[in-house]
Amino acid sequence: MKADPKSINVRGNRQLSRGRSAVWQARLVLLVMINLAQLWILSAAVDAALAKEFQHLTPLVIASAVCWLIALTIFLWWKPAGRGRGSA
Amino acid sequence: MSSDLTNAIDNVSDERDVRVATGPYQAEFPYERDEEAQVTRREFCNFLFLTSSALFVGAAGFSAKSVYDARKENSFAAAEIPGAGEMQAGSALNFKYPNEADSAILVRAKDGSYAAFGQKCTHLSCPVHYSKQNDRLECPCHEGGFDAKTGAVLYGPPPRPLDKVEIEVLGDRIFATGREVRGNES
Repeated sequence: MKADPKSINVRGNRQLSRGRSAVWQARLVLLVMINLAQLWILSAAVDAALAKEFQHLTPLVIASAVCWLIALTIFLWWKPAGRGRGSA
Repeated sequence: MSSDLTNAIDNVSDERDVRVATGPYQAEFPYERDEEAQVTRREFCNFLFLTSSALFVGAAGFSAKSVYDARKENSFAAAEIPGAGEMQAGSALNFKYPNEADSAILVRAKDGSYAAFGQKCTHLSCPVHYSKQNDRLECPCHEGGFDAKTGAVLYGPPPRPLDKVEIEVLGDRIFATGREVRGNES
């Protein structure tokens, strides 16, 4: 007995939609976590500057830059694969 | 939002009445609930990336400015502290030095000696005040305490001593001659 091609197509689309949704959720969660880390880094930088402990500022700025670069890669490249590319 | 869903909401809620009631104010405060609900994941993602950029720029800019300000060489002109000659032992006087924006506090200790400090607490810049009862400078915001003669931290969250204002006593007149930002030597 052959399976109905329409039902296979609907099931495939549903799985594809779930996969895309999961990738989107992951992107958003990662970006939120990066924002929280950067917020902490900013408050630490303000604290260090007020305490005149300037030796701590460079590592904090570098850490913030690394976070920003990760956010940039997520924003530009870590996207759900398109339908035409044959993967979900 | 689809039109069926909009109609369903209109049937079960008082949204229509609210819009009628707020009609006269719509021009000044335009508010559309439909638009509010339409924040897409893509827009939220863009917002998060912009926030990340802003936080990075903020951290880098704040750090650069604080280092630049610390390295900038200041030249101070001597300025008389008005009213300092009439101070009683165990009292304090607020003044501005070197600029109008830089508040400072002159303390005359119980033994008659003078000392002057920047008035901004080194924790989060609240103004400190002289406590005659405890003979120390106290910050009311987060309960920090400083020695009234040296400006050193006695207790609380401040990470470093108060800025020191150099003074010269010439008879009854007292002059401020310089201001020094001190780090944490410990």
